[in-house]
Amino acid sequence: MNQEQKCEVPCGIYTYEHHCRMGVDIHEIFVKKSRLRVVLSYIGIVFLLVNVSQPLLAKESLSLGSVWNITFAVLVAKCFQYKPVKKESVVIMPAFGVQVEIHFWSGRVDRRFVPIGKILKPLINECVTPVTCYWSLTLLLRDEEELLLVFQKSRPPVKMLVPVWKALCTLTNSEHLGPSIVDEPNSSEE
Amino acid sequence: MVSDFFFPNFGGVESHIYYLSQCLLKLGHKVVVMTHAYGNRSGVRYVTNGLKVYYVPWRPFLMQNTLPTLFLTLPIVRTIIIREKISVVHGHQAFSTLCHEALMHARTMGYKVVFTDHSLYGFADAGSIHMNKVLQFTLADIDQAICVSHTSKENTVLRSGIAPEKVFMVPNAVDTAMFTPSPKRLSCDEIVIVVISRLVYRKGADLLVEVIPEVCRLFPKVRFIIGGDGPKRVRLEEMREKFSLQDRVEMLGAVPHAQVRSRLISGHIFLNSSLTEAFCIAILEAASCGLLTVSTRVGGVPEVLPDDMIVLAEPAPEDMVRAVKKAIDMIPGIDPQVMHLRMKKLYSWDDVAKRTEIVYDRAMQSSTTNLLDRLPRYLTCGSWAGKLFCIVMIINYLLWRLLEFLQPAEDIEVVPDIGPLHAQIQRDDLCEAQENQI
Repeated sequence: MNQEQKCEVPCGIYTYEHHCRMGVDIHEIFVKKSRLRVVLSYIGIVFLLVNVSQPLLAKESLSLGSVWNITFAVLVAKCFQYKPVKKESVVIMPAFGVQVEIHFWSGRVDRRFVPIGKILKPLINECVTPVTCYWSLTLLLRDEEELLLVFQKSRPPVKMLVPVWKALCTLTNSEHLGPSIVDEPNSSEE
Repeated sequence: MVSDFFFPNFGGVESHIYYLSQCLLKLGHKVVVMTHAYGNRSGVRYVTNGLKVYYVPWRPFLMQNTLPTLFLTLPIVRTIIIREKISVVHGHQAFSTLCHEALMHARTMGYKVVFTDHSLYGFADAGSIHMNKVLQFTLADIDQAICVSHTSKENTVLRSGIAPEKVFMVPNAVDTAMFTPSPKRLSCDEIVIVVISRLVYRKGADLLVEVIPEVCRLFPKVRFIIGGDGPKRVRLEEMREKFSLQDRVEMLGAVPHAQVRSRLISGHIFLNSSLTEAFCIAILEAASCGLLTVSTRVGGVPEVLPDDMIVLAEPAPEDMVRAVKKAIDMIPGIDPQVMHLRMKKLYSWDDVAKRTEIVYDRAMQSSTTNLLDRLPRYLTCGSWAGKLFCIVMIINYLLWRLLEFLQPAEDIEVVPDIGPLHAQIQRDDLCEAQENQI
């Protein structure tokens, strides 16, 4: 039996879907491809090719100026590089663990499985950068100093994170209510 | 509250922001503090009573100040103000670059701004001239300003050219619950004089080098306890060696704030030799612990304590020694408990918060003006500086408009109000609160 819920946010680039299939809880967030960024990435690649091929076609030896040009072109191409994410999903397998997946438009899939015993607590965290502040869903893991970001590439709005967080809380609570385990205060906060 | 100076750094400005924020939270207001990151302390932290602190990952570059970038802090300041639904931005300390930039951005975005000046500054040296110009820029378009003493108000008005009617005087206070006198009264057989301050030129460490040997010579029953550290500590150590005062002058080194009270209550007299002070919270702490204060008559110090709690002297060794003699004669008549109870009535952070609330109300009532009406205020800052300031504000305005186009305010998620944190918050209630908010 599949259950599907969609939630659209005002910016319209994220779509949230929730499935339950054979006891496994799947939460997916789809990301729309940004055409502007695709164009910019092509511009970056063309700029790099032009800067690399110019000294070759001119049959000149590499001067300091051309080295700087190539270095600058590499930086620009790297800046504009765009590896679009198709969707990020969280697969919750009760009594087993959580699998975090990133699906790229290129077809590549990155997966990471976290056993249930490793998860101390799921958190909705506020991340502060030098230019912005946003919400993120993270997992606090036992015996690890760093938090695990659930949605690593995309920044979905918090109203999409809340149902995923609730589902993860249900998973960790059911695990803690099972065997008599005392929560260890293993916080990565300083 | 915006400032480069907040905990874990410790000082007068930091504790002012902290205590004021706590009392404003008690009055039912929402308070958020913004400062720069301290080492690994970066991101959002919640301190006592749910006071939220944003440690923005901008590294300090000079004397705990963020690198001045003029416009690069606009995105993060805008994001924090929108997501926290801020109505008044309160900046602290003229020396804080983050404060000036945040006030500029808040003003550009149409928010009410208040500024508190905590220190006195000069007029003649190059550093003061530049800082006064920056202060002129910030205060040219401020809604209200606060100073911690009348002397400080006079100093700020002269430095910045702001209208005196816009400046309120709200003094600092002291946590009298933390600074209590010793339950047992000290014997007067031996008089102990306590000095706790940073050992720097500005705090009169050079004066101490002259005063201490003379006092020890004139009064054989007096000994000194000196707490604090700094570049002038070497001079004090040399003084101890030169006059063989090792058994009469005890050097403690840096004293953590949590231990200040225990050091104060071991003395009868608190000696403050500062060359300049806008207010001086240290003498409040000493008086709250029941010590008689001897201080230099500088800045706002004469306004802080009643005449029977403080002996003032000119910042000259002879006058300081005379004042110490007068204080020693007064010691038998001093009751620390009575002094502490008087301090409780004279100073409290709750009173400071209520007075600051009045300033906020006045700021909220000031009219909202657009950019074209505000620009002439900057032209009065100087023939060249005025035009430069206008250009800076115009660029800031255009950048703000660009940010509004690239990231509209509606796309910035508002943080749900969960009120002061308690020991246990029901998770389901929190989720429901978030869903209802969204």
